[in-house]
Amino acid sequence: MRSFRLERQLDLDPRRAALYRVAGALCALVLGALVLVVTGRNPAWILWQALDAIFGRQRGIEGVVLRAIPILMTALAVALSLRMRIWNIGSDGQFLAGAFAAVGVGINLDAPGWVMLLAMAAAGTLAGAVWILIPALARAYWGVNEIITTLLLNFVAVQLCAWAALGFWRDEGAWAIQSTEAIKDTLPKIPGTESLTIALLFPLVIAGALWWVFRSTRAGYEIDMIGGNPKAAAFAGINVPRRVVAVMLVTGAIAGLGGMIHLAGSPGAQQLNSGFSAQYGLSGFIVAAIAGGSFLGLVVGGFLIAGMFFSGLVLQTRGLSVYIILALYGIILIGVAVGEMAARYRLVRAESEVAARRST
Amino acid sequence: MIFGMVDNALLSLVKVAIPASTVVVLCALGVMLAERVGVLNLGQEGLIGIGAVYAVIAATDWGVGSPWISMLVGMVAAATAGAIFAVVVVVFRANQILTGLALAIGGIGLSNQLGVNRNGTPIRTLFAEINPGGRFTSNAFLETFFFHDPIVYIAYILLPAAFWFLLFRTRHGMNMKAVGENPASADAAGVNVTWARIGYSVAGASLAGAGGAYMVLTFTPMWAPDIARGRGWIALAVVIFGAWRPFRVVAGALLYGAMISLGMTAQARNWNLPFLGPRDLSFFLSMIPYLVTIVAILIPAGAARFGRRVRSTSAPGGLAVPYSREER
Repeated sequence: MRSFRLERQLDLDPRRAALYRVAGALCALVLGALVLVVTGRNPAWILWQALDAIFGRQRGIEGVVLRAIPILMTALAVALSLRMRIWNIGSDGQFLAGAFAAVGVGINLDAPGWVMLLAMAAAGTLAGAVWILIPALARAYWGVNEIITTLLLNFVAVQLCAWAALGFWRDEGAWAIQSTEAIKDTLPKIPGTESLTIALLFPLVIAGALWWVFRSTRAGYEIDMIGGNPKAAAFAGINVPRRVVAVMLVTGAIAGLGGMIHLAGSPGAQQLNSGFSAQYGLSGFIVAAIAGGSFLGLVVGGFLIAGMFFSGLVLQTRGLSVYIILALYGIILIGVAVGEMAARYRLVRAESEVAARRST
Repeated sequence: MIFGMVDNALLSLVKVAIPASTVVVLCALGVMLAERVGVLNLGQEGLIGIGAVYAVIAATDWGVGSPWISMLVGMVAAATAGAIFAVVVVVFRANQILTGLALAIGGIGLSNQLGVNRNGTPIRTLFAEINPGGRFTSNAFLETFFFHDPIVYIAYILLPAAFWFLLFRTRHGMNMKAVGENPASADAAGVNVTWARIGYSVAGASLAGAGGAYMVLTFTPMWAPDIARGRGWIALAVVIFGAWRPFRVVAGALLYGAMISLGMTAQARNWNLPFLGPRDLSFFLSMIPYLVTIVAILIPAGAARFGRRVRSTSAPGGLAVPYSREER
């Protein structure tokens, strides 16, 4: 008799895990398409419209890249914390805090352009780190769940930015959407493009730097060690709480810098208003979840999700609501979670006990 | 009279806080049940949305006359989503955090999508407040506590009392706690870990759905996108603050309602502070519930840290850890 059974694998090959996560996400997308069919929509038409939105127009690809920048920055923040098995779900709040601080500097200070940009970048980075300071300390020293604290701060950041836009930094001249005054200094353009600025370099450089840190530095090794087994790491002499705080602050700083470069590098986003962050942190989270701990996979995934996000925005003008994208995100994430689990198991052919005894 | 000494402003604050917290109370009690058997469901935000939108659909599209039935529809819808979650995390043993976040995001998307054409449609079949009549009307203090709809009494008194009895006075409750603390020994003692976890995940999800339904059937009372506005996350925090004990969880949720009610009162009465005008004050106060919740979840950990003798405030030992018999 031949029968099959699932066997749990002790060590997980990262490539196999990545394959299963992506496969899970794809299966989930197919499932999502089926749901669309059942509810009377044509997924092929939607896919065609989505591809047309990206590749059918001159500005489509640049639109995707523009969305990919904030998504990648928040994804990097989440991915770095995930290396330590810490869930920074508040990257959206840190992103907004960074943009908030950068706007504050940008409209209240007067200096030459490059000084302004440096000051804004510093303010944004610092604000992102400050925004995660309390959750980081509470997690590292008191063991307080960082998921809930970082997430609740998202709501605070949204309110703070609304307050700035409608209250203390309000631009009295704005008429369409109430917003803060606009900053005057923007990041330099990339030659040969219509709308892209050097903001694009930030996520790519940071992803490369993190890849290098985890490949060849002691700090990266220690972080992975804490992620694998914090008790063993502490036993090996690593100051775990201090490392946790440091890494969480860096993740906040990356997201905060993301807010600043979006503000100073994305056309039309030079002021804070209710639509400043289209929940980029959420998309970034999906990207980080699909990529697992891989920073290079994250860059690829970031552009894919940005494509989905951008086509969702365009489809909105063609009579499809953006909420469907959110629902699809949820389905994709479940697919990733199941895929991640499935990668740990392998279907093996279990010979019957008699046969096993005979063969030895 | 002692009652007369209590300031009327405070009483009116409490009067608003009670219904404002009911959503969080219901949701948090559901979270508590599921976490007691070791299942962490971060998808509360999505479950509230699903419960709310289906209650709206029942009350408007289907023309259901009774708010009880509409709420039941919302509960069943949320329980269905909770069942999918439970199968994925308990049977497939997928990561509870990731799957829970998926439910939160997907649930918000799904409910907003279903609600697209129903924004702002007023709902007419609401839970009516119970008027106890007689001497209750003559007294501001009694009036504060005794003029509410039936769901308030169920959420604040009936359910926590029932759950307290279940958890601390029955054998079944002992088994539940064992499943949450140490599933392997519960399994060895003959408790069916899988079904306990699935069952209470689904029950918890249906309570989140009831919370969402209550919002649209009494509190708002209409559909609006992103209806939960963080209440699901606050419920998750309140359970930590309440140390997984029913009445403490309710007290924590009431704290949230008090903050909401503070904001509403300030707006209604046009409070003027030296540094903050009315508009700035309302922005400031809208951040307070979230900030207070963050402080609240630091309190148990901080109290434990600074050597205060407190009864166990830690999470169930097996929380968010998948259980499989072969790997114990």
